[in-house]
Amino acid sequence: MRRNDLLPRLTNLLSSMELTVFCLVVLMILVVACTLAQVTLGIHLAVEQYIRSFFVWWSPEALPFSVPIFPGGGLAGGLLLINLGVAQFRRLELSWRKAGLWVIHLGMALLFLGEFATAFLQVESHLSIEEGQTVNYSQDFRRMELALIDGTDGETDDVRSIPASMISSRGEISDASLPFTLRVLSFHDNAELLMRGTDDPPAQATAGIGANVLVRPVPRPLGEEQDSPAALIEPVAPDGRSYGVFLVSPALGGTQGFTHEGRNWSLSLRPKRYYMPFSLTLKDFKHDVYPGTSIPKNFSSLVRLLDPRAGDDRDVLIYMNSPLRHGGLTFYQSSFGKNNTLSVLQVVRNPSWTMPYIATLLVTLGLLWHFGVMLRRTLGGLS
Amino acid sequence: MTPRRIFSAVFVGALALAAWPAVAPAPKSDFDIEAFGRLPALEGGRIKPIDTFARNTLLIVRSKQTVRVDGRSLSATRWLLDAAFKPETADTYPSFVVDDPEVLGLLGLAQGKGRYFAYWQLEPRRDEINKQAQSADAVPSGARSRFQTAVLALETRMSLYERVKNTFMPSGRGDPSAELASFQALMRAAMEALRSGQASKGAAEMMAALDARMRAYQFLAEAAAFKSVPPLKGEPDEAWASFGESMLRPGAGHMTHPSVPLFARMAASYRAGDAAGFNAAVAEQAAWARENAAEATRHARVEALFNRAQPFISGMTLYVVALLLVFASWATRREDVSSAAHAVFWAAFVIHTLGLLARTVLQGRPPVTNLYSSAVFVGWGAVLLGLFGERIHRRGFAAAGASAVGFGTLLIAHHLGASGDTMDVMRAVLDSNFWLTTHVITITIGYSGTYLAGLLAAAWIARRHFVRKPDPADDKAIVSLTYGVIAFGLFFSFIGTVLGGIWADQSWGRFWGWDPKENGALLIVLWNALILHMRWAGFVRERGIMMMAVFGNIITSVSWFGVNMLGIGLHSYGFMDSAFWWLLLFSVSQLLLIMLAALPPRFWSHARQLDA
Repeated sequence: MRRNDLLPRLTNLLSSMELTVFCLVVLMILVVACTLAQVTLGIHLAVEQYIRSFFVWWSPEALPFSVPIFPGGGLAGGLLLINLGVAQFRRLELSWRKAGLWVIHLGMALLFLGEFATAFLQVESHLSIEEGQTVNYSQDFRRMELALIDGTDGETDDVRSIPASMISSRGEISDASLPFTLRVLSFHDNAELLMRGTDDPPAQATAGIGANVLVRPVPRPLGEEQDSPAALIEPVAPDGRSYGVFLVSPALGGTQGFTHEGRNWSLSLRPKRYYMPFSLTLKDFKHDVYPGTSIPKNFSSLVRLLDPRAGDDRDVLIYMNSPLRHGGLTFYQSSFGKNNTLSVLQVVRNPSWTMPYIATLLVTLGLLWHFGVMLRRTLGGLS
Repeated sequence: MTPRRIFSAVFVGALALAAWPAVAPAPKSDFDIEAFGRLPALEGGRIKPIDTFARNTLLIVRSKQTVRVDGRSLSATRWLLDAAFKPETADTYPSFVVDDPEVLGLLGLAQGKGRYFAYWQLEPRRDEINKQAQSADAVPSGARSRFQTAVLALETRMSLYERVKNTFMPSGRGDPSAELASFQALMRAAMEALRSGQASKGAAEMMAALDARMRAYQFLAEAAAFKSVPPLKGEPDEAWASFGESMLRPGAGHMTHPSVPLFARMAASYRAGDAAGFNAAVAEQAAWARENAAEATRHARVEALFNRAQPFISGMTLYVVALLLVFASWATRREDVSSAAHAVFWAAFVIHTLGLLARTVLQGRPPVTNLYSSAVFVGWGAVLLGLFGERIHRRGFAAAGASAVGFGTLLIAHHLGASGDTMDVMRAVLDSNFWLTTHVITITIGYSGTYLAGLLAAAWIARRHFVRKPDPADDKAIVSLTYGVIAFGLFFSFIGTVLGGIWADQSWGRFWGWDPKENGALLIVLWNALILHMRWAGFVRERGIMMMAVFGNIITSVSWFGVNMLGIGLHSYGFMDSAFWWLLLFSVSQLLLIMLAALPPRFWSHARQLDA
């Protein structure tokens, strides 16, 4: 094949209707597979495996590596997007008759880009807040972090956090912001914590609460249930002195720590926290039911929003289908507990949230235009 | 007669037939059962006539809206009256449908004599049923065996029936009127004793008697199936109480709610066979409710009328007649038959529309709020679309396709309705008229379009094989109709799907979450888009488009119902499980149609005609 043949052939392929049809069919298969897989895998894993991936991987027991067996949603969607773009400029004439198709395809491209943007940019977390409590952070229960807090100065805590993904690779962690190094002796993605019995082997943890706890690794839960990881961490001073081995896990209550050069450090493995430059105070949570039943009619949280930077100090009612949008974050009523005194808000940061709205408007107008033109032609042809 | 006159005559005749159930005189009875059924009550979080509750309860218990006793058919309200006031009689009615052989075995009942059993036949094994149901309840719903699901369903039905029996009096024991009088006397005496501060001789006895009455009312308050005592003036609108609850209110002894003695009288006179006394008490309660709970009473009366009219049953019948008449018009090629077909089709649409409007007004909600109403609406949308199609090409295809969809969806709705109240209240997230109107309506219209396209395509395939002298203009008409309807379906399913995304973004911050319902909607959009692109690219022609349109039926059905079946094992029970088999059967039938279309031309009667 000559080189100067390659480019036209490639553009031909990329702009071909065959590719469009192929991508649409692949997408349909992926959507069906993803839906069926949700029964066993839960929605998050299923979406990661089939939709938010470039390939669907298969890992047979006998092989040490995974094999890509099918294009994933990212690949099919990306190809479709390229196909759309190339075909648009190569084939479609710029005319009023085809204007509808132009607008539809532009809208579709935006919709696809919006989904890509969401996949990469969206951050979801939760904010649990009790009546009367003021909170300025949200938590992501799917991601853990090792938090090291210098609480010497009383009022304000100095927090350093290390993502769990970093400590799970075992070894030593030294960070410029930490005056000591951390040795990771073990890490389990998911573990049960039990009270240590007399027959159990001796504890690996030598300091803090962990000395009385037995750690039993268990398989990671399928579906929507969350991991409960556990790790053994040994802080070591620059001169090689050990502060003992600590067991950390989100399942452990209480604080544990050590003193390094006169400063009191505490350490904990906890859901990743996102701090916000403003705070919410829950004034009242309401759980309305239909009269004479326990069928929920509405959930609402009356919160006080305090944002000195933006000059905001006001009450906001967050309820079903009516979120609060503030500072690039959106707060939705998500759950509740503790006898209706605890409200859980879902917090979403998605800078691309307006894209689908614009895209939808474009596609709708385009479809109306295009099908309107065609209908007129059909009716005109009849009379 | 001119076709126009035939149209008018048949149209009016069909409407009159359909309206008959609403105006037909009630079956003869000395007791004014209908008036009792019209009384308002609070149940399941909303105000409804007792008639609605009776129908839904009997549907759950017996899968039918009537019960046959000794060759006579008893209405649901009559059944409820007997259960509440004369349970010893109602216990002998074959009210319970039990058809699981293992459950029958557990009950020691023989299979084969019939699937309906009376409460007294089940009662001796009540404890065993309870025990089995409890252990079945501990198993997650997807993993239950057929027996476990069946025994759990039986337990639910029996409990529901027992609650009906304990709504006014504990399983028909005692005389509520006399008890009420003695309770009031005891209360007065107790208050007197309290005020005078003197322990009289009979005080202990009196307190014991009072305590026994309070316990009985406490029991009734907990067991009652519905709340029939309206709020007093000045009380909040939702402060309805059951008979027992209103007796437990502070001051109930000396200031009894006016409805309470009326219901007690209804019970006593119904038991005694005193029709005049019963009717008078019902009339008084109706008058009191009209005066004090006007809105609820009006609503209950209208809903009771709606229940009686059963517009969707009439509509279903008319769609079948319309379909048959269209076939007859094709066979005979007579203009008058075709006019009659159009007239019945229109009449069916008018009835369907009236039913839909009545539900919308009664609920104060947009027309689609649950699976049941989506079925009613899918049919309605397809028929409306068919009316337009029929105006463009007056050849009967659109009418036939739309009648078939109309009939099919109403039939599905009829079966879905058997699982309880079809106008149930909306759970918190769904409680949004704005999104119900925009997203749900558009996506449902998208379903309508896809089904109509599929049915038109099926007609095209059938004609290829069975019509001897095809008219090329006919085929052309179907093809252009189908194409137009697919485009229509794509438009609405796309808009509906993204509006759903926007709703999701508004309510939990995710435009698109890839959950099963969303994926189902997306599949319809992708499929319709695929058909149109294949056509534009010339990969498929007439036949290919038709085959794909038929496959669209499967995709729409799966995304409409399949999602509700996800995670349901093959061993479950109830409508959704039998619906699974129907879905499978429907899909297979559509695949057969596609195969029929895929046969090479020499199998077509068209082609045979040409050869000959």
